[in-house]
Amino acid sequence: MFNKVLIANRGEIAVRIIRACREIGMQTVAVYSEADRQALHVRYADEAHLLGPAPSRESYLRIDKIIEIAKKSGAKAIHPGYGFLAERADFAQACLDEGLAFIGPKPSAIAAMGDKAVARATVSAAGVPVVPGTEGEGSLSDEELLALAPQIGFPLLIKATAGGGGKGMREVLAPEDMPSLLNQARREAEASFGDGNVYLEKLVEGARHIEFQILADTHGNVIHLGERECSLQRRHQKLLEESPSPFIGDNDDLRQEMGAVAVRAAQAVEYVNAGTIEFLVDKDGHYYFLEMNTRLQVEHPVTEMVTGVDIVKEQIRIARGRQMRYNQDSIHRNGWAIECRINAEDPYNNFMPSTGRITHSLLPTGPGVRVDTGVYPGFEISPYYDSLISKLIVWGETRAEAILRMRRSLEEYKIVGVRTNIPFHQNLMDSHRFMGGQFDTRFVEERFSMDAAEEGKEMHPEIAAIIATLVTHRQTQRAAQIIQRNERDTSNWKWLSRWERLQR
Amino acid sequence: MKYVTIIGDRQFMIELLDDNHVIVDGTTYDVDFDAISDQPVYSMIVDGKSYEAYMYPSDEGWQVLLQGRLYSAVVEDEREKRLRAAAGGRVADRGDFHLKAPMPGLVVSIPVGEGQEIQKGDVLLILESMKMQNELKAPRSGRVARLRVKVGDSVEQRQTLLSVV
Repeated sequence: MFNKVLIANRGEIAVRIIRACREIGMQTVAVYSEADRQALHVRYADEAHLLGPAPSRESYLRIDKIIEIAKKSGAKAIHPGYGFLAERADFAQACLDEGLAFIGPKPSAIAAMGDKAVARATVSAAGVPVVPGTEGEGSLSDEELLALAPQIGFPLLIKATAGGGGKGMREVLAPEDMPSLLNQARREAEASFGDGNVYLEKLVEGARHIEFQILADTHGNVIHLGERECSLQRRHQKLLEESPSPFIGDNDDLRQEMGAVAVRAAQAVEYVNAGTIEFLVDKDGHYYFLEMNTRLQVEHPVTEMVTGVDIVKEQIRIARGRQMRYNQDSIHRNGWAIECRINAEDPYNNFMPSTGRITHSLLPTGPGVRVDTGVYPGFEISPYYDSLISKLIVWGETRAEAILRMRRSLEEYKIVGVRTNIPFHQNLMDSHRFMGGQFDTRFVEERFSMDAAEEGKEMHPEIAAIIATLVTHRQTQRAAQIIQRNERDTSNWKWLSRWERLQR
Repeated sequence: MKYVTIIGDRQFMIELLDDNHVIVDGTTYDVDFDAISDQPVYSMIVDGKSYEAYMYPSDEGWQVLLQGRLYSAVVEDEREKRLRAAAGGRVADRGDFHLKAPMPGLVVSIPVGEGQEIQKGDVLLILESMKMQNELKAPRSGRVARLRVKVGDSVEQRQTLLSVV
């Protein structure tokens, strides 16, 4: 039994885990890189230890150092969060070898689900439907894959066996494009995961991405907490998630059926702790197992909002060997939750990442609003880690109320210093297709553009013109004053900095 | 003070009478204008209506983010504009384009070579930052000159990467 937890992560998720620990009286140990000395997780934790330089491989991916810090600090458990080491079986094993509790599944389950081909074969054997593809075939050569492709049919997807997040993934529309795309996918997979193996999968058209949250304890209880709709993605990165799914909606039979299948998939690898089963669902409601994420998900808060279950606390409870506080019958859904991922990306410039210091930030609050973030004014968004600044989550009694609440929260949210994708989410909230729940995984990339979304909206060009003119005027006035010698009403240093600002 | 302000394809004649009154194309507005906590965020109350906007400097002028919508703005002093008109217009579309790194990152690929003819929209360089590969594209057609970086280089924000002539 442990009462001190090391959080092997950074950013908003490290803060989220620290919060859960705090509430149940657990001591917390943060680890950080040189770039994160001032990060919120370092400030909130009871203890903080330096891992090394900013690049992940020299800090947050250093298994040896993290375990050494755990032992030194007396933390008897490690929570990996998501990303970094969360789905590394060798890390989970190293924890167990050192007598530390890993707050997550067993290394064998991570390994089984981490290799996508093995995962597909395993759940398929347990009667879970999978997308037709070269499942469980191991590593095939280009020649073998080219020969198998016509049996699967086009369009199809090339996916990295060790992959995730869209890396090493290519879509093939016609057989003649396949050799060069195979080459690209292998190269990208090799660079990202150190493993160039790929497999083929049928492309489900008009697909929705719907996933089920699983909780499993060491006493053999496995339950699901309902679904999350994650179809709104760009370059295979999720941008917005909601629970329940507007596609499943009132169809509780489908929900319970898919939930039961998800539970079966988890049981197939003797899963313990929190995990997620991802499905692709086609227009007719046929669902296929996509993959299992053997960790806490970025989007877990939407499930927390509609079920009332604190998933991170439950994870800790499970890792301590206790029974879950819930069984399937005690899980009830209430209302609707939506999460927008606020990224440091410029939606007006092809979602180009934006780095810099956050100079000002005003968080939305009020009824039904939750913000999970790891940043604050003065914090520097560095190029070393991903661009997630915060997650804005709202709850409403109905989907309509949740959308309206999200709209007003996005309006309230001010972040200055870096560009964010808040305007993208604002346009999405106004989109009729989104409001109608009619979208699939390609909606954002193929049928949504900022220009079109802004067309027809109420315009205030004259207001923009007045503001731009007043700002320019003020700057010109200041510049004019600088030229007049000995007329300054404030220190020369201030004038210098103002002058410098004008030269940008 | 009189200004000519262009928003998109519309032009506004704006005269600033005093701190609280502006005339836009002949109509006078009551204006209360302030920067919020010294940030490039401005609050403006116009005839009782409250607006808030972010201002970003751009190459040509400003980008104004107002109520979830982005406007590009060019503000010119009326006198300046007249002078320039007399001098025969601005010297636009001349000179080289210098591709600058929009953020710090790692150069992962340079699909073009020095001296190569390129079209507007062609990918000039791929920069990895924040775990994403970002394609930097040509804003106009031309010829690639002076490649200043190579694959594997780490670059700073605003560092010049290559030029298009």
